[in-house]
Amino acid sequence: MKRLRNKYTKDERVKFISHLDLLRVFQRALRRANIKVAFSKGFNPHPKISFGPALVVGATTEGDYMDIDVEEDISPEEFRKKMNKVLPPGIEIVESYEVELNDALSTKIKGAEYILQVNVKKSIKDIQNKIEEFMKRDIIEIEKESKSGRKMVNIRPYVLELKVIYEAENYFKFYIKLKLGEGAPNPLHLLKALNDYIGDLFDMDFYKLHRKNTILE
Amino acid sequence: MNNLKDKIDALLMKVSKPTRYTGGELNSSIKNPEEVKVRFAFAFPDVYEVGMSHLGLRILYHLLNKREDVYCERVFAPWLDMEKLMRENDIPLFSLETKTTLDKFDFIGFTLQYELSYTNVINMLNLAGIPILSRDRKGLPFVIAGGPCAYNPAPLSDVIDFFVMGEGEEVINEIIDAYIDWKKRGGEREEFLQIVSQIKGVYVPKYYMEVYNQDGTIKEIRPIKKGVPEKVKKRIVKDFGNAYHPEEQIVPFMDIVHDRIMLEIFRGCTRGCRFCQAGMIYRPVREKSKEKILDLADKLIKSTGYEEISLTSLSTCDYSQIEDLVKKLIDKYKDKGVGVSIPSTRVDAVSINLLKEIQKVRKTGLTLAPEAGTQRLRDVINKGITEEDILEATKEAFSAGWTNVKLYFMIGLPTEMMEDVEGIVDLAYKIVDNYKEVKGSVKNLKITISTSTFVPKPFTPFQWTAQDSIKDIVEKQDLLKKKLKSKVLKYNWHNPYMSFLEAVISRGDRKVGKAIIKAWEKGCKFDGWEEYLNYDKWEEAFKEVGVNPHFYANRERSLEEVFPWDVIDVGVDKRYLIREYKKSQEGRITPDCRLYCTGCGVKDFDEGVVCFEASKK
Repeated sequence: MKRLRNKYTKDERVKFISHLDLLRVFQRALRRANIKVAFSKGFNPHPKISFGPALVVGATTEGDYMDIDVEEDISPEEFRKKMNKVLPPGIEIVESYEVELNDALSTKIKGAEYILQVNVKKSIKDIQNKIEEFMKRDIIEIEKESKSGRKMVNIRPYVLELKVIYEAENYFKFYIKLKLGEGAPNPLHLLKALNDYIGDLFDMDFYKLHRKNTILE
Repeated sequence: MNNLKDKIDALLMKVSKPTRYTGGELNSSIKNPEEVKVRFAFAFPDVYEVGMSHLGLRILYHLLNKREDVYCERVFAPWLDMEKLMRENDIPLFSLETKTTLDKFDFIGFTLQYELSYTNVINMLNLAGIPILSRDRKGLPFVIAGGPCAYNPAPLSDVIDFFVMGEGEEVINEIIDAYIDWKKRGGEREEFLQIVSQIKGVYVPKYYMEVYNQDGTIKEIRPIKKGVPEKVKKRIVKDFGNAYHPEEQIVPFMDIVHDRIMLEIFRGCTRGCRFCQAGMIYRPVREKSKEKILDLADKLIKSTGYEEISLTSLSTCDYSQIEDLVKKLIDKYKDKGVGVSIPSTRVDAVSINLLKEIQKVRKTGLTLAPEAGTQRLRDVINKGITEEDILEATKEAFSAGWTNVKLYFMIGLPTEMMEDVEGIVDLAYKIVDNYKEVKGSVKNLKITISTSTFVPKPFTPFQWTAQDSIKDIVEKQDLLKKKLKSKVLKYNWHNPYMSFLEAVISRGDRKVGKAIIKAWEKGCKFDGWEEYLNYDKWEEAFKEVGVNPHFYANRERSLEEVFPWDVIDVGVDKRYLIREYKKSQEGRITPDCRLYCTGCGVKDFDEGVVCFEASKK
């Protein structure tokens, strides 16, 4: 058995596939590629595939990770090639390498970089200054729903970077870098907080979210 | 955001299950629409996960896309959240593959699987901005329909430009060839309808009219166009063994109702159950060879990666080499984790053995369909099984380790009395006793009893019979609810209003069609989804167009009555249906026609038709 760590992309064509559906996509691709995947022991065996943090449905990525344990002696490069032949159009493994069997993907993931494009409702002046003011605060609170009801959460510690990288007449593009881990917000949470702060200038219904990269330790 | 695709994307951010609308699944067809001569939209009038589970769609989709000059795309009824957003944002109904609005297609082909999806047909046309009445359409596209419910074309006659009767594999190509030819010549819309009216299996409703008697029954269905056939004969694929079966299958991203490979191993059924429309209209029985099936299975597993393969047919255990076939499939694919499933189980030892074999790979439930609670009534409907069969099969299953059994029955069957309904209860408790005998207690036992309500269907020996009134059905259901109360029993029943509407529409004439349109105008859609059925609106619709629904559902017909579907010839002789109807009233059974020919007439229907029984000689 060996563990292969794979970096994969999901483009516009498949951006609405949910995280759960993606697991099935890979399971069936493995069967088409005739690659033997390892199964967990126990009463209800399941294939040993683990994903990094879930992407919001509707977002694209060019840097998500997943680990697959295989029961055969296949080189990462051969694995990558075989899989790419059978994956649905829009999903591609761009990098594959072997890691130790005790190397858990979840403990390696530190952060992620995003590009978020959002439509503007009214013309916005001086956005860069406003963002600086916004980011200077020690506390950025958002409302989160949990089992025990709604509560306010401070997301500021997770925000590593937020800047505008492109301004068009009707939309803005942001670069966002976040820490990932327990309780981490997604980029939409952050943008919503910014939007509330600057007085509702963005149309939060029309956005495009792209994960540029996941940062591993 | 000016192009349609961006607009759709923005909506998809807000709807449930967005992959219902995205297309792009593995093995879906990607073509350049500019490079084809014919664009065909295969339309399924229900939501994606239901439509994608339908074998006919899968066959015709790949069959059409094999042609370089045709691009077949798919479209389903958008779920209510999506429809609302589409209407609010002026987005017309579009195809999954290229996000093209339906008005840009040459054909929109609906498959009619269920009468309660007819309002969805109308709703989809309306969402596409296409006039819902055939006579209001100018130019393209042509709105066509096929599938089992099309055999009574009357109710949708004002909506559909033409119907295609029977198996579509051959006739669809003939229609498309004729279309290409007509388009090249730059013909008129009307001219094309005339051309197809000459293709065998095609029914153009505007070329016929229903003439009524004073009492509202039909006097005749009169052809009003010179040269159209008096009766439209259904199409049969003669060489079914070598007929097209896809070697690939679309693999949806989301979980659909039947999320597995569907391999059709034979068509038709020899059992002759008198309530079953499929058993009559899909005649004759034709099998694929075992070698062919094994070859297809291999290709389908490789091209889809599915973990389960379903051997489909109307009665899979009746396949002549079923045991060997299942064993071979299990042996070959169990190491890959691919399981086999059979959609229905016969009530006998062979079937239980098959299930044991299947269990080697994947746990499977035990589902039996006694259909009626007493032997008398099972004989009436010609369900050729006995109580001993049922008890033996369940005993065998319990010994083999099953603890869950599902039993399917119908209520409201012709001649049914309360004691027949009580028979369902008796049988359920006998099965419980059976379990106790095998296991010593009722520990872990779970028996699920489901009753559907009998709907008399065209082209069956019961096409003359009356459906039970809603009141009677409710009474029978109440009895079962009361008597099937036990820790180990669970009772499920069908909404009687749905079964009533199904009965009205399935034997409806063109007048019923007006009520369907009226009901849609009042907001009815997804009538087959219990939570969305609005029966009060239907009642209003019937009233407003002056149609008495009970005339269609609850009236016994005389043998001489002309039916709206008598303009169609399905190959099963009316004299055979009458014979079977009479035998049912006497409680006499007719054996399986694999034993000997029971003379339904399909053998002599058409040149080259060979049914299973005949091929043995």
